[in-house]
Amino acid sequence: MIFPTVAIMLAAIGTFLLLPHRHGALRPGKLHLIGAALAAVGLVGLLSAYLSFSGPFLSGLFLMVFSLFAVFGGVLTVTSRSPIDSALWFASVILSTTGLFLLAGAPFLAAGTVIVYAGAIIVTFLFVIMLAQMEGKAAYDRAARSPGTSTFTCFLLFWCLVYSLLSFRADYTDQGKKALLPPRDYTAFYVVQPDFPTFRVFSAANRSTSQFVDAEGNRKPHVAGLGETLFTDYLITVELVGALLFIALVGAVAITDPKLPIRPAGPTAPSGLAA
Amino acid sequence: MPAEPEILALNALMNYLLVGGALFVLGMLGFLARRNMIVMFLSAEMMLQGTALTLVGFGRYHGNWTGQVFTIVILTVAACEASIALALIVVLYNRRTSLDITLWREIREPELECPVKDEVLEREEAEEIEPIPGPESYPQLTPAGIEPAHPGQAWTERRS
Amino acid sequence: MSGFFIRSAWLVPFFPLLGGLIAAAGARKLRENAHVPVVVGIALSFLVSLGLLFSATPGEEGTREGTTIVMRWLTVSGLNVPIEFRVDGLTTMMLSMVTFVSTLVAIFAVGYMGGDPGYPRFFSVVGLFVFSMTGLVLSNNFLLTYAFWEGVGVCSYLLIGFWHTKPAAASAAMKAFLVNRIGDVGFAIAIFWLWSIVPRHDLSYTNVLSESTLHAMPDHAIVWISLLLFWAATAKSAQVPLYVWLPDAMEGPTPVSALIHAATMVTAGVYLVARSTPLIAMAPSVQIAVTQTDLKRVMAYSTVSQLGYMFMALGAGVGHVAQLAVVAAMFHLFTHAFFKALLFLASGSVMHAMGDVIDMRRFRGLRHRLPITCWTFAVGALALSGIPPLSGFFSKDEILLALKSAAHESHRLGWVYSMIYWVAVLTALMTAFYTGRAFFMTFFGDEKLPSPDDPEAPKVDPAAGHGHGHDDHGGHGHGHGHEIGHESPPMMTYPLIALAGCTVLFGLICLISGPFGGTTKWFEGHLHHTWRFESLGHGEHGFDWPTAIVGTLAGLIGLGTSYVLYAKPSPIPGQLARRFHALHDASLNKFYVDEIYAWLILKPTRFFAVLSEFLDMYLVDGLVQGIAKLPRLFGREVLAPYQNGLIQYYVAVSALGVAGFFLILLLF
Repeated sequence: MIFPTVAIMLAAIGTFLLLPHRHGALRPGKLHLIGAALAAVGLVGLLSAYLSFSGPFLSGLFLMVFSLFAVFGGVLTVTSRSPIDSALWFASVILSTTGLFLLAGAPFLAAGTVIVYAGAIIVTFLFVIMLAQMEGKAAYDRAARSPGTSTFTCFLLFWCLVYSLLSFRADYTDQGKKALLPPRDYTAFYVVQPDFPTFRVFSAANRSTSQFVDAEGNRKPHVAGLGETLFTDYLITVELVGALLFIALVGAVAITDPKLPIRPAGPTAPSGLAA
Repeated sequence: MPAEPEILALNALMNYLLVGGALFVLGMLGFLARRNMIVMFLSAEMMLQGTALTLVGFGRYHGNWTGQVFTIVILTVAACEASIALALIVVLYNRRTSLDITLWREIREPELECPVKDEVLEREEAEEIEPIPGPESYPQLTPAGIEPAHPGQAWTERRS
Repeated sequence: MSGFFIRSAWLVPFFPLLGGLIAAAGARKLRENAHVPVVVGIALSFLVSLGLLFSATPGEEGTREGTTIVMRWLTVSGLNVPIEFRVDGLTTMMLSMVTFVSTLVAIFAVGYMGGDPGYPRFFSVVGLFVFSMTGLVLSNNFLLTYAFWEGVGVCSYLLIGFWHTKPAAASAAMKAFLVNRIGDVGFAIAIFWLWSIVPRHDLSYTNVLSESTLHAMPDHAIVWISLLLFWAATAKSAQVPLYVWLPDAMEGPTPVSALIHAATMVTAGVYLVARSTPLIAMAPSVQIAVTQTDLKRVMAYSTVSQLGYMFMALGAGVGHVAQLAVVAAMFHLFTHAFFKALLFLASGSVMHAMGDVIDMRRFRGLRHRLPITCWTFAVGALALSGIPPLSGFFSKDEILLALKSAAHESHRLGWVYSMIYWVAVLTALMTAFYTGRAFFMTFFGDEKLPSPDDPEAPKVDPAAGHGHGHDDHGGHGHGHGHEIGHESPPMMTYPLIALAGCTVLFGLICLISGPFGGTTKWFEGHLHHTWRFESLGHGEHGFDWPTAIVGTLAGLIGLGTSYVLYAKPSPIPGQLARRFHALHDASLNKFYVDEIYAWLILKPTRFFAVLSEFLDMYLVDGLVQGIAKLPRLFGREVLAPYQNGLIQYYVAVSALGVAGFFLILLLF
């Protein structure tokens, strides 16, 4: 466990240096470079050590590229001074994620994410441009809120996640797929009598959903299979989500009612800050 | 288009979990550390992306569509969140003409001294602005509401 | 037939309650007619009581005969209290008396209270009172009796304080209530004690007073429970030392005085003791206590003394005299209710005619102006003085006889009973004297009507001083002030005549049944239908000429003296008052009992209260508030800084918590 811990610590220090805040009398430019280097070393080390390829070389390469892109995009989204930069880097994170979706066999989802997030990002972008044309000059964009504590908390959590993943992997590699027990097996394992109440609850909760393969073992076409699942197993979920969308629409309209008077209910930002 | 992959092995699942976890944690860092409301909002979206990645990986691993369905749900919720959050940000910005989340502390104990350093200190904590060499120049755009000068023929006239 | 009446016993309390509720709910609609539902309700319950009178049954041991369960009331584990009524001799006798007197009083009040702004309120409370009183008498369970006992107390509070704007009335009501509470504590403790020792925790009379239960009880428990019950009865029946509330209670309207403080409520204590006689008869020492307290009561007031008579009789129930004693007490209770109510109502009638003047010195010689009031008052006074052949004579004679028999019966304590006997005779004399005084001062001598120029009139505005409170509401129509000196309306005189008729009638019945056959045979025969009555000791006893002559003589001497002194304006009372001015002053000031109580009880209590207040304010409050301050300090100094309103702080703390838990899960 020493290597991942060191890698995560490097990444954490690098991210801390990259976060916008004043480091005493030191010039920020060089520190940023050092931070970027440390973060890159830590994250690249971690990912390259623990990402595993199986199958064709090309898909392995793409996996590596997309993963690195996503993670670096994430770091830069968080650390950019300008919100515009943040939004652009976030777009790169989205694109990398969709690439990973594609690799995981979810092309419909990849397309949907690009469409939805592209719309959302553009909207966000527009807002940024409309509202605050500071381009990284606002004081609050140049000063992070307690960067040390935040970095420590988040990377502690990351270490916990990695630790659990790796220890899991170390212990159960031999047993392969059995290690992660599907819920249906769980039901079968624990319940002896069908009229046992627990059985009914489990079997209702873990009803067999549509599989990638049909009863004869033939693979289903992708979008058709997804659609079938959506509108058979998850019909109520789809309806609920639709209702949620509608309510959000109404809510957004209600919140930004132009007829409501806009009263400054407190101190406005000091003019010195805005400059 | 990549070939439809086989049902994932545990090792392959691990890739997705690792990247998803990293994205989640980085999003959380952004939410904790950044004070710009829009950036905080972007960070929250990034956390959702990390979760979506793990869900897709798990769905692949179990050989069914559930993970993808959940991802679709997450996408929808994210869209809802975007609409509401951006509307709220507009309202808040109109009130204080600033995107700083620090200005909104009404839920604190009322008579309590603010433990956060005052604005002057915070400004001193902020990084210096590195001057960009050369004269300041901005792209010229036509102001809205003023009819631009028509250099030539209108396209309807050109067409005929 | 009797079963039908017993099953419908619940109607007796029900009708007055219904009437009272209607009067209360429809106060705005009924206004001047608010009395109708109440009077009708009480009259109906009187009719039902009459029916019950003939279906009284003593009940058998171990059966539910003579009882009727109306509904379930309390069913907790270990405690089952149904609303169960018992219909036996004692109950029916009390019931018919209470409802009859209440009916007449209610009718009387229609005239007396006319025009009062609180008219509907008065009648609704009267209905509630009759409900409580009948329920108290009917209930077959100590707990239920207690509930109604308290109900009676509340009604008494409401009625005494009816003119609550008058400070004297308000404080009198408070006093009556508080003094009654002192007694109620004894009752409550007795009930708790009984509950803990009787089998099955069944508090019904059927169980508690049954032979097996009584014999199974430890002796000291019987003594103490009897004493506690007697203590409760003392407060309710205004006996020494808890009688102080009764004189002040006369601040209430006169019908209330008649209803509560003469005829019905004060007899509740006598009823309780009579009901529990099987219990108390097992504790001879308690009986001595019953009579001993009465020694001190000799000089007290009319009602107090008459109730004292009843207790004396109850206390005399040793050995073979027990049955005679109970019969004598209940018979006196019965006759006393009539003639005392008569006296109160008659004096109310006088007051009504005199424009609410109650000072006896301000009018005299009214016998021509108020003939009906005068002669009914005379009947009542004669009965109270125990002059034959009126009912009072026979009942008083029974009590004297019981005392005398007890003196013979009890060898060890014979001298005590002999002494009580002579005290009783002396009391009879005194009673006759002051009754005669009131009568002669009011109705004899030269005619004189109250007028503001009267030297006896208070110096300040007489209406404000002596008014009944509702005098403040000037033009209220029934016009006390304008028709001074006229006989009261028929609505008020008819009840007087009815009560006087009853007083005479009972005397006649006793006379016919014969002094030689035992005057109270018919009454005793009825009381024989009482639960566990037959178990009391009884012996032969007949009319005792010496007792009768002594009693009559005492009454005649008292009346004669008062005639000599007060029938005509004479200088003798003034001279006497001057000679014995200390005693006279003491008598005027109620023998300073209130002052003694103030010194003995009020002052220490107040001191204790001040001490407690001090301790509460500085010690207890300090402690409690100090403890309360600790979390506040902790919150302010330690926790509040985290509530700084920065969203990112909250999120960071949550995330740290998640990370911490995760870490613990992974590493341990």
